[in-house]
Amino acid sequence: MNLTARQVMETRFATLRPEMTISEAVRVFQGASREQGQKVLGMMVTDGAGTLVGLLSLYDILLLLRPKHIHIWGEMEDLEDCGLLESACQRAKRVLVGDIMTTEVITITPDTHLLLIIDIMIKKHVRRLPVLEDGKILGMVYLSGVFNQLLEKLTP
Amino acid sequence: MPVIDYREVLKGLLVQEGMRRQVIHLSQEAPLEQAIRCTIKYKVNAILITDEHQAGLGVVSKTDLMGAYYAGLPLSTPCSAVMMGPPLFCQPQDTLDFALDVMRTQKVHRLYVREDGAPRAVGVLAYPDIVGLLYRYCHRCERSLRTLAAPGKTLPDQLRLREVMTAEIYAHQEEDSLQEVMEGLAAYRFGAVLIKAATGLPAGVVSKTDLILAYKHGLPPDTRAQSIMSAPVQAGDASAPVVEALKTMIFWDVHRLFVYQDSPQNLVGVLSLSDVARFRSGTCRACLASRIIS
Repeated sequence: MNLTARQVMETRFATLRPEMTISEAVRVFQGASREQGQKVLGMMVTDGAGTLVGLLSLYDILLLLRPKHIHIWGEMEDLEDCGLLESACQRAKRVLVGDIMTTEVITITPDTHLLLIIDIMIKKHVRRLPVLEDGKILGMVYLSGVFNQLLEKLTP
Repeated sequence: MPVIDYREVLKGLLVQEGMRRQVIHLSQEAPLEQAIRCTIKYKVNAILITDEHQAGLGVVSKTDLMGAYYAGLPLSTPCSAVMMGPPLFCQPQDTLDFALDVMRTQKVHRLYVREDGAPRAVGVLAYPDIVGLLYRYCHRCERSLRTLAAPGKTLPDQLRLREVMTAEIYAHQEEDSLQEVMEGLAAYRFGAVLIKAATGLPAGVVSKTDLILAYKHGLPPDTRAQSIMSAPVQAGDASAPVVEALKTMIFWDVHRLFVYQDSPQNLVGVLSLSDVARFRSGTCRACLASRIIS
Protein backbone atom coordinates (compact mmCIF):
# COMPACT_ATOMS: atom_id res chain seq x y z
CA MET A 1 0.00 0.00 0.00
CA ASN A 2 1.27 3.44 -0.93
CA LEU A 3 1.75 5.67 2.06
CA THR A 4 0.53 9.14 1.27
CA ALA A 5 -0.27 12.39 3.03
CA ARG A 6 -3.78 11.13 3.63
CA GLN A 7 -2.46 8.51 6.07
CA VAL A 8 -0.14 10.76 7.99
CA MET A 9 -1.92 14.10 8.03
CA GLU A 10 -3.46 15.57 11.16
CA THR A 11 -7.05 16.46 10.38
CA ARG A 12 -7.75 18.23 13.67
CA PHE A 13 -6.40 21.71 13.22
CA ALA A 14 -7.19 25.23 14.29
CA THR A 15 -6.40 28.16 12.05
CA LEU A 16 -5.40 31.75 12.58
CA ARG A 17 -6.65 34.89 10.86
CA PRO A 18 -4.28 37.56 9.47
CA GLU A 19 -5.94 40.30 11.52
CA MET A 20 -5.35 38.52 14.84
CA THR A 21 -2.79 40.03 17.19
CA ILE A 22 0.23 37.96 18.10
CA SER A 23 -1.04 37.53 21.66
CA GLU A 24 -4.36 36.20 20.32
CA ALA A 25 -2.43 33.82 18.08
CA VAL A 26 -0.40 32.54 21.02
CA ARG A 27 -3.63 31.73 22.85
CA VAL A 28 -4.84 29.75 19.81
CA PHE A 29 -1.50 27.90 19.76
CA GLN A 30 -1.97 26.98 23.41
CA GLY A 31 -5.54 25.82 22.85
CA ALA A 32 -4.59 23.76 19.80
CA SER A 33 -1.78 22.09 21.71
CA ARG A 34 -4.19 21.08 24.45
CA GLU A 35 -6.73 19.83 21.93
CA GLN A 36 -4.28 17.80 19.88
CA GLY A 37 -2.38 16.48 22.88
CA GLN A 38 0.93 17.65 21.42
CA LYS A 39 2.85 20.88 21.08
CA VAL A 40 1.61 22.76 18.04
CA LEU A 41 4.46 24.93 16.80
CA GLY A 42 3.02 26.15 13.52
CA MET A 43 -0.46 26.93 12.25
CA MET A 44 -2.19 27.78 9.02
CA VAL A 45 -3.57 31.26 8.45
CA THR A 46 -6.80 31.57 6.49
CA ASP A 47 -8.87 34.45 5.18
CA GLY A 48 -12.60 34.95 5.73
CA ALA A 49 -13.40 32.42 3.00
CA GLY A 50 -11.26 29.76 4.65
CA THR A 51 -8.59 29.98 1.96
CA LEU A 52 -5.02 29.35 3.04
CA VAL A 53 -3.08 32.64 2.95
CA GLY A 54 -0.04 31.84 5.07
CA LEU A 55 1.66 29.94 7.86
CA LEU A 56 2.73 31.23 11.23
CA SER A 57 5.26 29.34 13.31
CA LEU A 58 6.55 29.98 16.80
CA TYR A 59 9.87 30.66 15.09
CA ASP A 60 8.27 33.68 13.39
CA ILE A 61 7.14 34.95 16.78
CA LEU A 62 10.58 34.36 18.31
CA LEU A 63 12.14 36.35 15.45
CA LEU A 64 9.88 39.22 16.40
CA LEU A 65 10.75 39.06 20.10
CA ARG A 66 14.52 38.71 19.61
CA PRO A 67 16.32 42.02 20.12
CA LYS A 68 18.11 43.12 16.98
CA HIS A 69 21.52 43.60 18.58
CA ILE A 70 21.49 40.63 20.89
CA HIS A 71 24.84 39.48 19.47
CA ILE A 72 26.50 42.30 21.41
CA TRP A 73 24.99 41.31 24.71
CA GLY A 74 27.84 38.95 25.40
CA GLU A 75 30.00 42.02 25.99
CA MET A 76 27.73 43.33 28.72
CA GLU A 77 28.73 41.62 31.95
CA ASP A 78 26.35 43.64 34.07
CA LEU A 79 23.41 42.84 31.87
CA GLU A 80 20.05 42.69 33.59
CA ASP A 81 16.93 42.01 31.63
CA CYS A 82 14.85 44.29 33.88
CA GLY A 83 11.56 44.35 31.98
CA LEU A 84 13.07 43.70 28.57
CA LEU A 85 11.01 40.64 27.82
CA GLU A 86 7.85 42.39 28.95
CA SER A 87 8.73 45.32 26.71
CA ALA A 88 9.37 43.05 23.71
CA CYS A 89 6.04 41.33 24.31
CA GLN A 90 4.34 44.71 24.65
CA ARG A 91 5.75 45.80 21.30
CA ALA A 92 4.76 42.49 19.71
CA LYS A 93 1.16 43.09 20.70
CA ARG A 94 0.87 45.81 18.05
CA VAL A 95 1.93 43.36 15.39
CA LEU A 96 -0.65 41.24 13.63
CA VAL A 97 -0.38 37.68 12.37
CA GLY A 98 -0.55 38.99 8.81
CA ASP A 99 2.51 41.18 9.46
CA ILE A 100 4.91 38.31 10.04
CA MET A 101 3.33 35.19 8.59
CA THR A 102 5.03 33.32 5.79
CA THR A 103 3.02 33.62 2.61
CA GLU A 104 5.20 31.50 0.36
CA VAL A 105 3.66 28.26 1.56
CA ILE A 106 4.47 24.88 0.05
CA THR A 107 1.39 22.69 -0.02
CA ILE A 108 0.79 19.06 -0.91
CA THR A 109 -2.24 17.04 -1.92
CA PRO A 110 -3.65 14.06 0.01
CA ASP A 111 -2.09 11.79 -2.60
CA THR A 112 1.46 13.07 -2.19
CA HIS A 113 3.69 10.09 -1.40
CA LEU A 114 5.39 9.90 1.99
CA LEU A 115 8.85 9.75 0.43
CA LEU A 116 8.11 12.87 -1.60
CA ILE A 117 6.94 14.57 1.60
CA ILE A 118 10.23 13.67 3.27
CA ASP A 119 12.11 15.03 0.28
CA ILE A 120 10.23 18.35 0.42
CA MET A 121 10.74 18.67 4.17
CA ILE A 122 14.48 18.07 3.87
CA LYS A 123 15.06 20.23 0.81
CA LYS A 124 12.89 23.14 1.90
CA HIS A 125 13.69 22.96 5.62
CA VAL A 126 10.04 22.82 6.61
CA ARG A 127 8.48 20.82 9.42
CA ARG A 128 4.85 21.04 8.39
CA LEU A 129 3.00 20.93 5.08
CA PRO A 130 -0.64 21.90 4.60
CA VAL A 131 -2.67 19.35 2.66
CA LEU A 132 -5.02 20.89 0.10
CA GLU A 133 -7.51 19.41 -2.30
CA ASP A 134 -9.05 21.76 -4.86
CA GLY A 135 -8.02 24.68 -2.69
CA LYS A 136 -9.73 23.27 0.40
CA ILE A 137 -7.66 22.57 3.49
CA LEU A 138 -7.86 18.93 4.54
CA GLY A 139 -5.15 18.78 7.17
CA MET A 140 -1.51 19.25 7.98
CA VAL A 141 1.39 16.83 7.76
CA TYR A 142 3.88 17.32 10.58
CA LEU A 143 7.46 16.10 10.58
CA SER A 144 6.68 14.22 13.78
CA GLY A 145 3.80 12.43 12.06
CA VAL A 146 6.06 11.40 9.20
CA PHE A 147 8.70 10.23 11.63
CA ASN A 148 6.22 8.21 13.69
CA GLN A 149 4.95 6.56 10.54
CA LEU A 150 8.51 5.66 9.55
CA LEU A 151 9.26 4.30 13.01
CA GLU A 152 6.39 1.87 12.64
CA LYS A 153 7.83 0.70 9.34
CA LEU A 154 11.36 0.45 10.66
CA THR A 155 10.57 -1.53 13.79
CA PRO A 156 9.49 -5.15 13.36
CA MET B 1 43.04 39.79 16.01
CA PRO B 2 42.56 43.36 14.81
CA VAL B 3 44.63 46.06 16.40
CA ILE B 4 42.91 48.28 18.94
CA ASP B 5 44.50 51.59 18.24
CA TYR B 6 43.76 54.50 20.54
CA ARG B 7 43.61 56.89 17.65
CA GLU B 8 41.79 54.68 15.22
CA VAL B 9 39.58 52.05 16.75
CA LEU B 10 38.53 50.55 13.45
CA LYS B 11 42.06 49.95 12.24
CA GLY B 12 42.51 46.41 11.03
CA LEU B 13 38.83 45.55 11.08
CA LEU B 14 37.34 44.18 7.90
CA VAL B 15 33.86 44.41 6.47
CA GLN B 16 33.40 40.67 6.98
CA GLU B 17 33.75 41.16 10.74
CA GLY B 18 30.97 43.69 10.96
CA MET B 19 28.54 42.64 8.27
CA ARG B 20 25.35 40.71 8.75
CA ARG B 21 25.29 37.55 6.70
CA GLN B 22 21.54 37.36 6.32
CA VAL B 23 20.58 39.47 3.32
CA ILE B 24 16.84 39.95 3.05
CA HIS B 25 15.94 40.21 -0.61
CA LEU B 26 12.85 40.23 -2.78
CA SER B 27 12.15 40.24 -6.49
CA GLN B 28 11.19 43.49 -8.14
CA GLU B 29 7.69 42.13 -8.72
CA ALA B 30 7.13 41.53 -5.00
CA PRO B 31 4.35 43.76 -3.62
CA LEU B 32 5.08 46.49 -1.07
CA GLU B 33 3.01 44.52 1.41
CA GLN B 34 5.62 41.77 1.30
CA ALA B 35 8.45 44.26 1.70
CA ILE B 36 6.80 45.66 4.82
CA ARG B 37 6.34 42.16 6.19
CA CYS B 38 10.05 41.43 5.66
CA THR B 39 11.18 44.64 7.38
CA ILE B 40 9.01 43.85 10.42
CA LYS B 41 9.80 40.16 10.60
CA TYR B 42 13.56 40.42 10.13
CA LYS B 43 13.98 43.83 11.79
CA VAL B 44 15.78 45.38 8.85
CA ASN B 45 15.57 48.93 7.57
CA ALA B 46 15.86 48.00 3.90
CA ILE B 47 15.28 45.15 1.48
CA LEU B 48 17.57 44.35 -1.41
CA ILE B 49 15.64 44.01 -4.66
CA THR B 50 17.16 41.36 -6.91
CA ASP B 51 16.78 39.91 -10.38
CA GLU B 52 16.30 36.23 -11.22
CA HIS B 53 20.01 35.58 -10.59
CA GLN B 54 19.77 37.30 -7.19
CA ALA B 55 21.90 40.18 -8.43
CA GLY B 56 21.05 43.44 -6.70
CA LEU B 57 18.94 45.88 -8.71
CA GLY B 58 17.88 48.34 -6.05
CA VAL B 59 16.90 48.90 -2.45
CA VAL B 60 13.54 49.51 -0.81
CA SER B 61 13.97 51.16 2.58
CA LYS B 62 11.51 52.04 5.31
CA THR B 63 11.75 55.61 4.03
CA ASP B 64 10.61 54.45 0.58
CA LEU B 65 7.77 52.46 2.13
CA MET B 66 6.72 55.47 4.16
CA GLY B 67 6.81 57.51 0.95
CA ALA B 68 4.52 54.98 -0.72
CA TYR B 69 2.09 55.32 2.21
CA TYR B 70 2.21 59.11 1.92
CA ALA B 71 1.62 58.91 -1.82
CA GLY B 72 -1.35 56.60 -1.34
CA LEU B 73 0.09 53.74 -3.37
CA PRO B 74 -1.77 50.45 -3.00
CA LEU B 75 0.02 47.75 -1.02
CA SER B 76 -0.03 45.59 -4.15
CA THR B 77 2.34 48.01 -5.92
CA PRO B 78 5.51 46.19 -7.03
CA CYS B 79 8.74 47.05 -5.23
CA SER B 80 10.25 48.15 -8.53
CA ALA B 81 7.95 51.22 -8.43
CA VAL B 82 9.58 52.66 -5.32
CA MET B 83 13.04 51.09 -5.16
CA MET B 84 16.12 53.27 -5.23
CA GLY B 85 19.12 52.04 -7.06
CA PRO B 86 21.45 50.71 -7.91
CA PRO B 87 22.62 49.35 -4.54
CA LEU B 88 26.19 50.07 -3.51
CA PHE B 89 28.52 47.19 -2.81
CA CYS B 90 31.78 46.53 -1.05
CA GLN B 91 33.76 43.35 -0.56
CA PRO B 92 34.22 41.23 2.57
CA GLN B 93 37.96 41.93 2.56
CA ASP B 94 37.56 45.70 2.38
CA THR B 95 38.43 47.56 5.54
CA LEU B 96 35.64 49.06 7.61
CA ASP B 97 37.35 52.41 7.18
CA PHE B 98 36.97 52.11 3.42
CA ALA B 99 33.34 51.04 3.72
CA LEU B 100 32.56 53.92 6.06
CA ASP B 101 34.12 56.38 3.66
CA VAL B 102 31.94 55.06 0.85
CA MET B 103 28.84 55.27 3.05
CA ARG B 104 29.67 58.82 4.03
CA THR B 105 30.60 60.12 0.59
CA GLN B 106 27.71 58.36 -1.15
CA LYS B 107 25.30 59.32 1.65
CA VAL B 108 23.91 55.82 2.11
CA HIS B 109 23.10 54.00 5.33
CA ARG B 110 24.20 50.56 4.21
CA LEU B 111 26.44 48.75 1.80
CA TYR B 112 25.78 45.32 0.45
CA VAL B 113 28.69 42.93 0.40
CA ARG B 114 29.63 40.62 -2.44
CA GLU B 115 32.68 38.72 -3.51
CA ASP B 116 34.60 40.14 -6.42
CA GLY B 117 32.80 39.26 -9.65
CA ALA B 118 29.92 37.43 -7.98
CA PRO B 119 26.42 38.83 -8.55
CA ARG B 120 24.91 37.65 -5.28
CA ALA B 121 25.19 39.64 -2.04
CA VAL B 122 26.69 37.66 0.84
CA GLY B 123 26.17 40.27 3.52
CA VAL B 124 25.08 43.76 4.42
CA LEU B 125 26.84 46.39 6.47
CA ALA B 126 24.83 49.16 8.16
CA TYR B 127 25.59 51.77 10.81
CA PRO B 128 24.02 49.86 13.72
CA ASP B 129 26.26 46.89 12.95
CA ILE B 130 29.30 49.14 13.12
CA VAL B 131 28.16 50.76 16.34
CA GLY B 132 27.85 47.28 17.79
CA LEU B 133 31.43 46.56 16.79
CA LEU B 134 32.59 49.85 18.26
CA TYR B 135 30.93 49.01 21.55
CA ARG B 136 32.68 45.66 21.55
CA TYR B 137 36.14 47.02 20.78
CA CYS B 138 35.94 50.12 22.92
CA HIS B 139 34.68 48.00 25.77
CA ARG B 140 37.85 45.89 25.52
CA CYS B 141 40.10 48.90 25.17
CA GLU B 142 42.27 49.53 28.21
CA ARG B 143 41.22 53.17 28.24
CA SER B 144 37.57 52.22 28.38
CA LEU B 145 35.10 53.39 30.96
CA ARG B 146 35.11 49.96 32.56
CA THR B 147 38.87 49.99 33.12
CA LEU B 148 39.12 53.59 34.17
CA ALA B 149 36.31 53.14 36.62
CA ALA B 150 38.51 50.89 38.71
CA PRO B 151 39.27 52.12 42.28
CA GLY B 152 41.65 55.05 42.27
CA LYS B 153 41.12 55.84 38.60
CA THR B 154 39.43 58.91 37.25
CA LEU B 155 37.41 59.44 34.12
CA PRO B 156 38.71 62.68 32.70
CA ASP B 157 37.91 61.66 29.13
CA GLN B 158 34.46 60.37 29.65
CA LEU B 159 31.79 61.90 27.48
CA ARG B 160 28.35 62.63 28.85
CA LEU B 161 25.07 62.57 26.95
CA ARG B 162 24.72 66.35 27.07
CA GLU B 163 27.98 66.72 25.12
CA VAL B 164 27.03 64.37 22.31
CA MET B 165 23.28 64.83 21.99
CA THR B 166 21.51 66.99 19.45
CA ALA B 167 19.90 69.72 21.54
CA GLU B 168 17.05 70.34 19.16
CA ILE B 169 14.07 68.04 19.56
CA TYR B 170 11.63 67.83 16.71
CA ALA B 171 8.17 66.95 18.00
CA HIS B 172 4.59 66.54 16.93
CA GLN B 173 1.40 66.69 18.92
CA GLU B 174 -0.79 63.70 19.71
CA GLU B 175 -3.54 65.29 17.63
CA ASP B 176 -1.38 65.61 14.51
CA SER B 177 -2.16 63.30 11.62
CA LEU B 178 0.15 60.57 10.38
CA GLN B 179 0.42 62.55 7.17
CA GLU B 180 1.85 65.51 9.09
CA VAL B 181 4.23 63.22 10.95
CA MET B 182 5.42 61.73 7.67
CA GLU B 183 6.00 65.19 6.24
CA GLY B 184 8.09 66.07 9.28
CA LEU B 185 10.13 62.90 9.17
CA ALA B 186 10.80 63.33 5.46
CA ALA B 187 11.76 67.00 5.78
CA TYR B 188 14.16 66.48 8.68
CA ARG B 189 15.38 63.03 7.61
CA PHE B 190 14.61 61.55 11.02
CA GLY B 191 13.79 57.93 11.72
CA ALA B 192 11.42 58.73 14.56
CA VAL B 193 9.71 61.71 16.12
CA LEU B 194 8.67 62.65 19.64
CA ILE B 195 4.94 62.99 20.24
CA LYS B 196 3.86 65.50 22.88
CA ALA B 197 0.64 65.55 24.84
CA ALA B 198 -1.52 68.68 24.95
CA THR B 199 0.22 69.51 28.23
CA GLY B 200 3.53 69.71 26.39
CA LEU B 201 4.89 66.66 28.17
CA PRO B 202 6.40 63.78 26.20
CA ALA B 203 3.76 61.17 25.42
CA GLY B 204 5.36 58.74 22.97
CA VAL B 205 7.37 58.21 19.82
CA VAL B 206 6.31 57.48 16.25
CA SER B 207 8.92 55.75 14.12
CA LYS B 208 9.00 54.80 10.47
CA THR B 209 8.31 51.24 11.60
CA ASP B 210 5.10 52.41 13.29
CA LEU B 211 4.12 54.25 10.12
CA ILE B 212 4.66 51.39 7.72
CA LEU B 213 2.74 49.10 10.07
CA ALA B 214 -0.10 51.63 9.94
CA TYR B 215 0.17 51.50 6.13
CA LYS B 216 -0.06 47.73 6.14
CA HIS B 217 -2.98 47.76 8.58
CA GLY B 218 -4.89 50.07 6.26
CA LEU B 219 -5.02 53.10 8.57
CA PRO B 220 -5.84 56.26 6.65
CA PRO B 221 -3.09 58.91 6.71
CA ASP B 222 -5.36 61.31 8.60
CA THR B 223 -5.26 59.00 11.64
CA ARG B 224 -3.98 60.75 14.78
CA ALA B 225 -0.38 60.13 15.77
CA GLN B 226 -1.52 59.18 19.27
CA SER B 227 -3.14 56.00 17.98
CA ILE B 228 0.09 54.42 16.74
CA MET B 229 2.80 55.92 18.97
CA SER B 230 5.00 53.80 21.21
CA ALA B 231 5.04 54.74 24.87
CA PRO B 232 6.73 55.40 27.21
CA VAL B 233 9.55 57.44 25.69
CA GLN B 234 12.97 55.84 26.20
CA ALA B 235 15.18 58.51 27.72
CA GLY B 236 18.53 58.85 29.45
CA ASP B 237 19.92 61.33 31.96
CA ALA B 238 21.98 64.12 30.37
CA SER B 239 24.74 63.55 32.91
CA ALA B 240 25.03 59.82 32.21
CA PRO B 241 28.04 58.45 30.29
CA VAL B 242 27.45 58.00 26.59
CA VAL B 243 28.49 54.40 26.73
CA GLU B 244 25.55 53.72 29.04
CA ALA B 245 23.22 55.32 26.51
CA LEU B 246 24.68 53.16 23.79
CA LYS B 247 24.09 50.13 25.92
CA THR B 248 20.50 51.20 26.49
CA MET B 249 19.92 51.68 22.78
CA ILE B 250 21.41 48.32 21.91
CA PHE B 251 19.50 46.67 24.73
CA TRP B 252 16.12 48.21 24.04
CA ASP B 253 16.38 48.06 20.26
CA VAL B 254 15.96 51.79 19.75
CA HIS B 255 18.00 53.94 17.40
CA ARG B 256 17.18 57.16 19.23
CA LEU B 257 17.33 57.92 22.89
CA PHE B 258 15.85 61.12 24.23
CA VAL B 259 17.87 62.96 26.83
CA TYR B 260 16.42 64.52 29.95
CA GLN B 261 17.62 67.01 32.52
CA ASP B 262 16.53 66.51 36.14
CA SER B 263 13.32 64.66 35.25
CA PRO B 264 12.26 62.32 32.40
CA GLN B 265 9.47 64.80 31.71
CA ASN B 266 12.02 67.48 30.88
CA LEU B 267 13.54 66.40 27.57
CA VAL B 268 16.46 68.52 26.43
CA GLY B 269 17.90 66.60 23.50
CA VAL B 270 18.08 63.44 21.49
CA LEU B 271 20.88 61.00 20.85
CA SER B 272 20.97 58.74 17.83
CA LEU B 273 23.16 55.76 17.09
CA SER B 274 24.76 57.99 14.47
CA ASP B 275 25.63 60.57 17.16
CA VAL B 276 27.21 57.83 19.21
CA ALA B 277 29.03 56.48 16.21
CA ARG B 278 30.41 59.93 15.54
CA PHE B 279 32.06 59.79 18.93
CA ARG B 280 33.07 56.16 18.55
CA SER B 281 31.71 54.23 21.51
CA GLY B 282 31.56 57.37 23.57
CA THR B 283 33.81 56.03 26.28
CA CYS B 284 36.98 57.78 25.35
CA ARG B 285 38.09 60.98 23.69
CA ALA B 286 41.31 59.38 22.55
CA CYS B 287 39.64 58.06 19.43
CA LEU B 288 39.64 60.44 16.54
CA ALA B 289 36.38 61.99 15.47
CA SER B 290 34.65 59.42 13.36
CA ARG B 291 34.12 59.44 9.67
CA ILE B 292 30.88 57.55 10.05
CA ILE B 293 28.52 60.47 9.83
CA SER B 294 29.51 63.78 8.38
